[in-house]
Formats: sequence, structure tokens, C-alpha cells
Amino acid sequence: MIVHHILGVDGQFPLLYLIWLLPLFGAILLWAFGPQLKSLAGPIGSALIGTAFVASLVEWGLATQAVGTNGAMLYGAHMSVLTWTKGFDFGLLWDRLSLTWTLIITGVGFLIHVYSIGYMNGERAFARFFAYLNFFVFAMLTLVLSDNFVGLLVGWGLVGLASYFLIGFYFDRPSAVAASRKAFVINVVGDVGILYAVFLIVSKIGSIAYGDAFAAAQSGFTPGELTTICIALFIGCAAKSAQVPLHTWLPDAMEGPTPVSALIHAATMVTAGVYLIARCWPFWVNSPDARALVGAIGAITALTGAVLGIAQWDIKRILAYSTMSQIGYMIMGVGVGAFDAGVLHFLTHAFFKAQLFLGAGIIIHNLSNEQDIRKMGGLRKQMPFAFAAILVGVLAICGIPPFSGFFSKDAVLYETLVHGHPWLYAIGALTAGLTAYYMFRLLFVTFFGTYRGDVDPSSLGIRHPELAGVHAPHDENAHTEHAHAPAWLMSVPVAILMVPATLIGFLYLGGRESVWVKFFAPVFNTGSESAATPILSELASTLLVLAVVLVGIAVAYIRYARAGFFANPIERLRLESIRMPAPLTNALYFDLAIDYLVVKPTQLFGKVCARIIDPIVIDGAVREVSLSASWLGHLFRSFQTGLVRAYAFVIVFGVACFAAYYAIAGGVH
Amino acid sequence: MNLTEFAVPIEYYIGLSSVLFFLGAIGVVLRRNPLIMLMSIEIMFNAANLALVTFAKAWANNTGHIFAFLVITVAAAEAAIGLAIVVVVFRKRQNVDVDEVAALKG
Repeated sequence: MIVHHILGVDGQFPLLYLIWLLPLFGAILLWAFGPQLKSLAGPIGSALIGTAFVASLVEWGLATQAVGTNGAMLYGAHMSVLTWTKGFDFGLLWDRLSLTWTLIITGVGFLIHVYSIGYMNGERAFARFFAYLNFFVFAMLTLVLSDNFVGLLVGWGLVGLASYFLIGFYFDRPSAVAASRKAFVINVVGDVGILYAVFLIVSKIGSIAYGDAFAAAQSGFTPGELTTICIALFIGCAAKSAQVPLHTWLPDAMEGPTPVSALIHAATMVTAGVYLIARCWPFWVNSPDARALVGAIGAITALTGAVLGIAQWDIKRILAYSTMSQIGYMIMGVGVGAFDAGVLHFLTHAFFKAQLFLGAGIIIHNLSNEQDIRKMGGLRKQMPFAFAAILVGVLAICGIPPFSGFFSKDAVLYETLVHGHPWLYAIGALTAGLTAYYMFRLLFVTFFGTYRGDVDPSSLGIRHPELAGVHAPHDENAHTEHAHAPAWLMSVPVAILMVPATLIGFLYLGGRESVWVKFFAPVFNTGSESAATPILSELASTLLVLAVVLVGIAVAYIRYARAGFFANPIERLRLESIRMPAPLTNALYFDLAIDYLVVKPTQLFGKVCARIIDPIVIDGAVREVSLSASWLGHLFRSFQTGLVRAYAFVIVFGVACFAAYYAIAGGVH
Repeated sequence: MNLTEFAVPIEYYIGLSSVLFFLGAIGVVLRRNPLIMLMSIEIMFNAANLALVTFAKAWANNTGHIFAFLVITVAAAEAAIGLAIVVVVFRKRQNVDVDEVAALKG
């Protein structure tokens, strides 16, 4: 009899069902009755997510409750839903961590739903879009609410599916279809990693429940096993959260509609890896090797994303690489053991990155789907609201006090130092400078100077205008012939997001004594570590990072916002486009490497199978079996002479043989 | 086992049965006329019957007698069916040589 350890107080909580299943209901409703609901689909889908958000707020107390039983404290709530098979149950876990994620998924999700009503207005498949969005929210909630690894994996796979649907939403565009397929395949690589970790856990402790696994984390596994589990789980995180080298799908995923990029490929889905590591913190705490590896990969990802962000011209691709870079920070934070700092960066990033994407969406929407910042310029006066939104987002992501990103990035970097990784800290600080550079480059090129939309693309150095962000096929009649939705549908969500993007960082005011750390103290019960004195004090670390950030901003200012640039911006942009180093324009050759190391060998293997193994080995075996049957048939039919007397003779001869045998062998007795 | 006394020794009965059976088998294998073959089969039946009743008598067990009756019944049925087949084959082909009737050759 296995004694199950549960996290949270057991019970039945109807509101949790509501939070979890409302989006599923919405997805089914909009999928089935989309054509009938027409333009109502958007408001209905949004209202369902909004209701789920309100219900999550109502159940706040349930998630933060603390109840003592049998000498141990239980935090939050646990609800059994169904039993898969004996000893393997599925339930919902409602604690501070899942509360945080649920609030972001439903809250930011609700705002993005509302925004989408305006952005997707007049699109051909309006209802289908909202059905997909609702389905995504359901999948993501399954992921974060599950109380066991298999439920997590189910949600993990479903969000990948939702992401596939939404990246390929414009399925008549080959590049979107290719991007969705790439994202799905890479995500499945991650699913396999998690599946392998689940196998390891089940084979060792015979349970899939978090409670059992975490109870065994300290002594139930050998260090090698634990590290293997952590790495297998991290393969899933790397694929879902765009960590090097499995990040290549994220920039391509920008083929989806902009609200999708904001919700899925910035705020929520791509942070699932951060959630997984934060949820499995007992594993990471007990595995120093996994901490070092994951922290290093997070730092490398942060740097890679920032370096590649410098070379992009597509506004959404810049934001995609910045997302990758920021998730690198989060993974570095949770990876080295600074779980609350990593989760804080997730929280602030969800707000400011959603806001950046939605602000970019307003620009793209108003410029008839132009995404190339070389063809923008001077939009500050034309779109003051979008400018304000992007400005707040840029200040937040660069970590300018008092915007939210300042607190979270500072927390991640300083905690990295505290956990004894000065090199990762250095990479992170360098990345902060690069981030400031390319985000201010985006800001200056897009909003300052003069409008360049009517300039010949080739004079701006745009080599393939048809590939450079001008996505015409689907929208020719989308935004021009149909009446525009009221503008407030798109601006109000952005305005609301500006508040937390600016202020939410103050939760961390006070560092280790802050509200945020106290809130998560019962979750990340890591105990008092032997805190090595970091080489920099917290204040020195903050000032150092700020100085690096200011250098980045200054370089961007000198290059893009001074008279030298404004004198002839077109020529400057053309030269920069042409002289962009090849490794940067080719995204550091990651795609090429994956192509040659994985895709080509796999295709070769497929060809070998198709041309040699299948026709010769498999078909050959089948053919030989059938031929031998035929050959045996030929042999046996030669006995059938049709001569009755011959049969009679054989019978008599057989009897004679028996008789002779008994006569010689001496009878039966 | 206590064998009942016979006026003629039991070996003679069994010997006669064996000779009859052998003659019947020879007839079935060598003759080509189905009527003769059926007769030969009847001879084999009767050889078996003789053996059955001989042993029944010898061991004072009536099962053998009963079984002989059963064999006679089967033999009658077999003769009826066999002759019917021969008649049908003759009507079809005007010929009853069994070697010619080889339509089941594989």
C-alpha cells in the first residue's frame, strides 16, 4: 500500500472545475457553433476567460491557505478529479505557484482575447481563432493545475497542439504552415524528454503524483538518477521555452497572428518550462549538476537571443528573440535555484512582453500588416498611443527603474550571483546591455525620424520585399473592406497592461524581505542555504547592471537617434542591412546545423528505409513466405493422383507397415 | 484369462479371417471394376466380423457380437451408397473403370 503524499488540503472545490473547464467549454462551443455565432464568438470567448479569471481571484484564499495536519503544514488545496488506473489519479493542485500562473493565463489571456476582437475583426475564420485561443487556455490550465506528471504532460502536449493550430492559422500561407510544423515537431522532441523523465520516476517510486515524487527527491533517487530526471525534464523545458539549441521554432512562430504571439509565444506557453522547473524545485535543489547545466543553458540562451535580436528588422522577430532572451533569464534563475526570482521575471515579462506585442500589433494593424521596421519611422506622432505602449514595454524590458523589469531582472541576476555563478551573472549583465541596445534600436528606428513606408524597399536594403514581413494574401479584404472594430478594443487592453508592466515589480521591493519572497516562502521551502558571500553587494550588482544597460542605450542612441542617422536614414539602413554579418542574418547557423545534423540524416535514413529496407527486407520477407506456401502446395498436390486404387494401396501399405512394426517390436504388451 | 474351449482351434478362425481380409485388400487394390471392388470391401468387412465374433466368443464378451451387427449395418449402407455412385458414374460416362474416374487429380 503506497501512502500518497499530497500537496495541499484535500477536498472538492467546484470553482476549480469552473476555472479549468470554462475555456474547454468555450473551445467546443465556438468550434461547433462558430458560423452561427459570427461576430459574437469573440465576446463569448473573452467572457469565458474573464469569468475564469474572476473565479481564480475568488479562490485566491484557497490557494494561499495554510492548514496543519499531523504535524506538517499543507499549503493550498488539492482536488481529486478521476482515477486513471489503480494508484494513478488525476487531480488539480491549487497552490501559490499554480495560482500565479492561472492568474496570468486567464488575466493576460482575457486582455488579449479582448484585443483580438479588434485585431481579428473581419478575418475569415474569426470564430475558429477564438476557439483555438480558448482551447489553448484550457490546455495551459491543464498543464499548470495538474497534480501529477502525466497530467502535466497531457497539458504540455495540448499546448503544443494549440500552438500548432495558431501558428498555422493562416494555413493558405506556406511559410505559416512550415512554421507551425516546425514548432510542433520541436515541441514533440521536448514531450519525449518529459515522457522519459516520467518513466524514470514511475519505475523508481511507482507513482506519478508530484507529492510522492517530491517526497522522494531527497533520498528516493541516487544523484545520477535525479540528474538524469532533471535533464530529461529540461529537454522538455528547452523545447517549449525556446532554449538553445531547440529555440529555432520561436522566431518562425511569429507567422501566427500578433495576439497569438503575445499570448502564447511571449506571455504564457513559452514560460511552461519555467513553471516546470519551479514546480519540480525539490529535484533541482537536490541536483547540483542539473542546476549548473540548466543555469548555463539559460544564460547562453539569454545571450544568443540578445545577439540575434540585434540583427532583426521584423518587429515581431525582434520581440521573439527578446522573448527567447528573457526566458533565458528565467530559466537561468530557476535553474540555479533562485526560484522566486525566476518566477518574478515570468510575471513581469508576461505583462511587458504582452504589452510590447500588442503595441506592435497596433502598428502592424494600422500599417496594413507591415512588419519591417525599416519601412516604419516617425510613427511617434502618427500613433502616440502605440509609442507610449512600446516605450513602457521597452523601459520595462531594459530594466530601467522603477519599471517592473528592473526588479525582476535585478533579482534574477543578483540571485545568480548569490547561488555562486559569477560567470552566468556576467553573461546576464552583458545580455542586459545588448537587450537595452536592440530594444532602443527598435524604438528609435520605428518611432523617430521620418516615415519610410513609401520608400522603395530595395533602397532600404530589403532584398526580398515579398518575404520581408509583407504578408498580403490573407488581409487584402480583411482590414480595408470591413468596417474597423472600435479602436478601444485594442487600446484598452494595452492601457490596462501598462499598469502592471510599470508597477508589478514593486512586489519585490525589499529583496529577500519583500512581499513576493514571503508569498512564495511556503512553496520554495529550500531552507537556509549556506549562503556564500557574493563578490558584489546587491547595490553594487544593481548599479553595475544599470551602467551596462545605460551603455547599451547610449550606443543605440548614438547610432539611431542623432543627426548622423537622421541626415540620411535610408542610406544608413541600407548599408546596415547589406553589411549585417552573415552569422547574424543566418541566426548563428542553428537552423543549418539542425538541418545537417538531424533533418538530413533523418531524411537519409528515410530514404534508406524506403529504397532498401522496405522493398528488400520487409517486402522480401513477405514475398518469401507467400512463395514458400505456394511451393509447399505444389509439393503436396503431386500426392493427389485421383486414382482410387492408389489411395487404397497407400492405406493398405500403411496398415501393413503398422502391422510389421508391431510384429517386429514384439506386440503391444 | 480363461478362454472358452473351441471345437476348432481359435487360430483357424483368425487365420481364415486374415486370409479373407488379405484377399479383399488385394481385390480393392488390383481390380479396376468398381463392382468387384465393392465386393472385395464386403469380404474385408466379413473378415473383420469373423474376427470380432471369434474374439467375443473366446473372451465371453458380447460386445463383439453386437459390434458385428453394427458392422453388417454399415456394410449394407456402404453397399447401397457405393452402388448408387457406380450407377451415377455409369450413366454419366458409359464406363466404370475406376482409373478413368480421376477428376480429383491435384
